[in-house]
Amino acid sequence: MSQTPHAVEARHLVKGYGVVRAVQDVSFQVPRGEIFGFLGANGAGKTTTLRMLCGLIRPTAGTALIDGFDVFAQPMEAKARLGYLDEEPFIHPHLTGREFLDYIADLYRMPRGPERHRRMERLLGLFELADRDGELVGAYSHGMKQKIGLASLLIREPSVLLLDEPTNGLDPRSARLVKDLLEELATRGTTVLLSTHILEVAQALCRRIAIMDRGHLVATGTMEELRTQAGSAQATLEDLFLSLTAGPESSELIERLLAPQP
Amino acid sequence: MSRSAVGIILRAEWRAWRNRIAKANPLRVVGLVVFALLGGTVFGGFLFALAAAAGHLLPSARDAMLSGAFTALSVLMLVVGFPSVIATYFAGRDLMQLVLAPVRSIEIFLARSLFAMSANLLVAVVFLIFVAGVGAGSGASPLYYLLALALVFVQVLLVTALQATFMAAVLRWVPARIARDVAVAVASIAGGGLYLAWNLTLRQTLGSFAPRHQPDLSSLVSSLQRIEWVPSSWPGHALSAVIEGNAAATLVWTGITLVFAIVVVGAAALLYERTLLAGLGLLGGVPSRWRTRRRKPPRVAAAGAGSPGFAIARKDWIAYRRDIRRLSRFLPAMIFLLAYAVLLIRPGRGIDLFWNDVFVVAFVSLFMSMMFATTAIPAERRGYQLLRLAPVTSWQLIRAKVLFTLVPVLALTGVISLGLSLAGGNSPWKTLQVALLAVWLGVGCVSIGVSAGAIDPNFESADDRRSVGIVGTFAAMGGELAFGLFSVGALALFYLAASLAAGNAVAGLPVAATPAFALASVVIAVALAAAGASVVVLMLWLANSHLRGFENSIVSN
Repeated sequence: MSQTPHAVEARHLVKGYGVVRAVQDVSFQVPRGEIFGFLGANGAGKTTTLRMLCGLIRPTAGTALIDGFDVFAQPMEAKARLGYLDEEPFIHPHLTGREFLDYIADLYRMPRGPERHRRMERLLGLFELADRDGELVGAYSHGMKQKIGLASLLIREPSVLLLDEPTNGLDPRSARLVKDLLEELATRGTTVLLSTHILEVAQALCRRIAIMDRGHLVATGTMEELRTQAGSAQATLEDLFLSLTAGPESSELIERLLAPQP
Repeated sequence: MSRSAVGIILRAEWRAWRNRIAKANPLRVVGLVVFALLGGTVFGGFLFALAAAAGHLLPSARDAMLSGAFTALSVLMLVVGFPSVIATYFAGRDLMQLVLAPVRSIEIFLARSLFAMSANLLVAVVFLIFVAGVGAGSGASPLYYLLALALVFVQVLLVTALQATFMAAVLRWVPARIARDVAVAVASIAGGGLYLAWNLTLRQTLGSFAPRHQPDLSSLVSSLQRIEWVPSSWPGHALSAVIEGNAAATLVWTGITLVFAIVVVGAAALLYERTLLAGLGLLGGVPSRWRTRRRKPPRVAAAGAGSPGFAIARKDWIAYRRDIRRLSRFLPAMIFLLAYAVLLIRPGRGIDLFWNDVFVVAFVSLFMSMMFATTAIPAERRGYQLLRLAPVTSWQLIRAKVLFTLVPVLALTGVISLGLSLAGGNSPWKTLQVALLAVWLGVGCVSIGVSAGAIDPNFESADDRRSVGIVGTFAAMGGELAFGLFSVGALALFYLAASLAAGNAVAGLPVAATPAFALASVVIAVALAAAGASVVVLMLWLANSHLRGFENSIVSN
C-alpha cells in the first residue's frame, strides 16, 4: 500500500462537455478510515466527480488519487483498492445473486475456495438474500439489487468505498444496517466517500462534509467548521445546505405556486 | 366538452413516435425510407405481377387462391404478431399509468389496438398486394378492391383480437415478459422457417420451370378447397363472389365474416377488462413459483486465483443460455446458416468440390462472426461499467470475448467442414486443409468482429441488433471480407505454386509452369496471408485503443 495519508485525493478536477463545465476545479482529501459526505443539489456535479475518482470518466484537467495511486496513470493499482456503487447499480439480470458475486470475485482475482465461499454466505445472510440467492437478479426488487450491489463491493474488502446514494430504495431496516456497517467498516480503516441527498444520514455518519453547487465545491469541513463558515452556531445541516446552495426560498416558491391565477 | 381518452392516448403515442423519428439519425431514417420504397416496389411489383398472372391464367383456382391467401395471412399473423400484441396490451410499462388514470379498460383496449395490430398490418400489406393482383388479373370491378381493403383490415383486427383473447388466458399462469420472449422466439423461428421454405420452393420451381407449360396446381387447389369452411377463408370466398358477380354470395360471406369478427373482438375486449382488473397485465405480476426452483446446495468453487477472462466467458455463457430474446435470434440464424451452407451453396459446373468446401467454410466463418463476435462487447450493456471499474485491461476484455466467441464458431465450422469433406469424399490431406482453413478464418474473423464491436459500441441498446453502430458494422463487414479474400487468395496461390512446380500449367492462366513462377506464387501467397493477418492486428489495435478511452455510455447513465 502507498504511504500517502490520504485514501482519496481530488486535485483540481475539472470536467467539461463542450462549453459546459460540469465540475470546476474541485479539490479535497479524505484521510483513511473517514466517512466523508458529499452533498449537492441535483446536477451539482457529485456523480461526475465520483465517476472521475473511480476512473469511469477521464477528467478534462486535474488528478484523482486512490491510496496514492493515480486513477488514470496507475489504474490497476487504484481499481484493486476501490469499490464504487452507482446510484442505480447494474447487476447482470440473467445471473443469480450468488453467480453475480462469484463473477465479481473472479474479476477482482479473489482466491477461490472455502474462505471466499464463507464470505459470500455471510454477506448473503447479512443482506437477507440467502433464501433468494438462486433467483435471477432480473427478478429482484430495486432494494434487493442495491443490496447485492453492496455485497459485491464488500466481498472483496476494498480499502476505499465510493457510494452514490447507497440507501436508495432500501427498507428502513436495511438502511439502518448499511449505516451501521459503514460505521463499523470505517472504524476498521475503510475510507467511505458517501454521496447522498438524505441530510440526516450525512449528519449522523460523516465526520466531514463537502457541499457542491453548480460544479463548484462551495464548502468542506466538519459540522462545526461549516457552521462557522455560515456564521450560525445552531444551524442544522439542512440550514447550512440551503444557505450555501443559494436559490429562491421554498416558502416563496410555494406561495407562487398556490397564488390564485388571474 | 371533455376529450375522449382514446384520442388522448393516441395523440401521446403519436407524439412519442414523432419525437423518436425526429431524434433519430437522419441518414438512418432516409436510408430506411429509400430501402423500404425500393424493396417495396421491387417485391410488391413482382408479387402483384405474379398474382395478376395467376388470376388471369387460372380462373378456376381464383376462389382457392383467395381463400388460401386469407388463411395463410391469418396463420402468418398468428405466428409473427404475438410479440406486438403482448408488448402493447399486457407488458407495456405505461399500462400502469393508464390503469391508474380515470380511463375505462375498453378505451385502453381500443387505443392500443392500432399498435397491437402494427406487426399484423405489415404482414397484411403483402397479402393485400397479392389480393389486388388477383383482382387485376381477373378484371374485377372497383368494389372488389374496396371490399378487399376492408376485409383484410377486418382479418387483421380479428386475428389481433384472437391473440389478445388467447394471451388474456395464458397470462393467468405465465408472466407477460416471459410470454413475450417466448413469442418472439417462436415468431423468429417460424419466420425463418417460412422464409427458407419460400426460398427453396422458389428455387425448385424456377429450376424445373418449363416455358409454355402451365404449372399443375390441381393438388394445391383441391387441398385449399378442403379448408373452405375455415373462418379465415370466408373473406376469400366473398371476394371471389365479387369477381363472379354473385351479389348474394358476396353479402353472405361478408356478413358472416363481420359477425364473426364482432364476436371475437367483443370477447377480447371483455376478457382484456377482466385481465387488467385482475392485475395480471401489469408487468406480469403472476405467481412467484414460476421463478422459484428447488434449492441446490451451494457449490464451493475449486481453489486457485479467480481469472477475469474466464469469469467474463462463464458469465456470458450462463447469460446467453438464459436470455430467451438472444436465443430467439440465434436459432433462426442457425436455420439460415445451415440451410444456406448445405442446401443453397452447391458446386457450380467445373468447380472442384474442395473449392466448394472452402467457400462454405469461409461463408460460415463470416456469418457466424458477424452474428456472435460483433455484438460480444456491446452486449455487456451497462455491465461494461463493472468491467471498467475492475482491474481488467481492455486487452484482457477483448481477449476473453474472442476466446468465448471462438469456441462456438470453430465448433460449427469444424463440424460443417468435416461433414462436407467426408460427404464429398475429399482425401484426408484435403480434409485437413479445409479444417486448418476453418481455424485460420475462425480466429481472424472472430477477432475482427469483436474488434469492430469495440470500435463502435452502443451500450445503451437493449437490442443486440442495434448494439453496434454503422461504423462498427461496416468495419466488421469490410475487415472480414478483406481478411477472407486475402486468406482464400493465399490458399489458391499456394495451389497454383504446387501445380507450377510440378510442371503443370493452369489452363487460362498466362503463366508458365516454371520454378520461378512457382516461387513468385508462393511469395505473393505469403504476402496475402500476411496482409490478412495485418488486418486482424490493425482491428485489434484500434479496438484496444478505443476501449481504453471510451466513456460515452458511462457519462449518459
